[in-house]
Amino acid sequence: MPGRECEEALDRLFEYIDDELSDDELRRIGAHLKTCPPCEAEHKIKEKIKNLTSRSGGDAAPEELRERILASIRSTRA
Amino acid sequence: MSETALDFETEALSYMDQLYAAALRMTRNGADAEDLVQETYAKAFAAQDKFTMGTNLKAWLYRIQTNAFINTYRKKQRQPKLSDAEQVEDWQIAAAAEHTSSGLVSAEQEALDQIGDVEVKRALSELSEDFRMAVYLSDVEGFAYKEIAEIMDTPVGTVMSRLHRGRKLLREKLREYAAERGIYDKRPAPNVDSGEVCHARKGV
Repeated sequence: MPGRECEEALDRLFEYIDDELSDDELRRIGAHLKTCPPCEAEHKIKEKIKNLTSRSGGDAAPEELRERILASIRSTRA
Repeated sequence: MSETALDFETEALSYMDQLYAAALRMTRNGADAEDLVQETYAKAFAAQDKFTMGTNLKAWLYRIQTNAFINTYRKKQRQPKLSDAEQVEDWQIAAAAEHTSSGLVSAEQEALDQIGDVEVKRALSELSEDFRMAVYLSDVEGFAYKEIAEIMDTPVGTVMSRLHRGRKLLREKLREYAAERGIYDKRPAPNVDSGEVCHARKGV
């Protein structure tokens, strides 16, 4: 039944975009998304937000922190 | 120094930027983040013998850092916690309401295209710690649910509910920012029975 398919797809969208589903589940939900525009739209939004957050890292450790840590390892090893 | 010790050191040090970035999200403060990363490496090298080469060193380091953070910093700021049962029930009910009309959704998609990295960082920093870290570890670091569960020392179900709730809050915040900037028209959510919504809960 389509109702159940939507329910399952929506409940598992995060697992779908996080690549946490089995091959069978992935295929089933992927097939549903192709035929259900509202579920597919919701999928796109969740995916877009995940992509936005994924870019929000990227802070490099300050050079003096790196040096401090290396010095402390060397002194322990010495 | 043995080859194994050298491999351990080289690999462990290669994660410093990532650990520092995660420490910044945890502590929300540069000086504390530096102290936390230094403490993480001190503990990791002291416990090096307990690590099995060939297993997941990155996750192991995150686990040490998360524990160090909890023990050193979190004690200062205790937060009341919801039970996991409440959390799971809440996001499962919410799933149906997400099945909104395509008009609203495309407006939201367009608004998201104009959201910048600064706003995403701000939204993430406003989430409570457990939600923030679950989202960060999944989206930025790409850890699997099972690895996040090990790092945060919680069951996988709790990781999933933190991700659901954290991402839902994040989305609400991004919508708010977009509305503040006039790039998203905040209309009320469509009525589930109005036919605007697809067959999410109908005929079930």
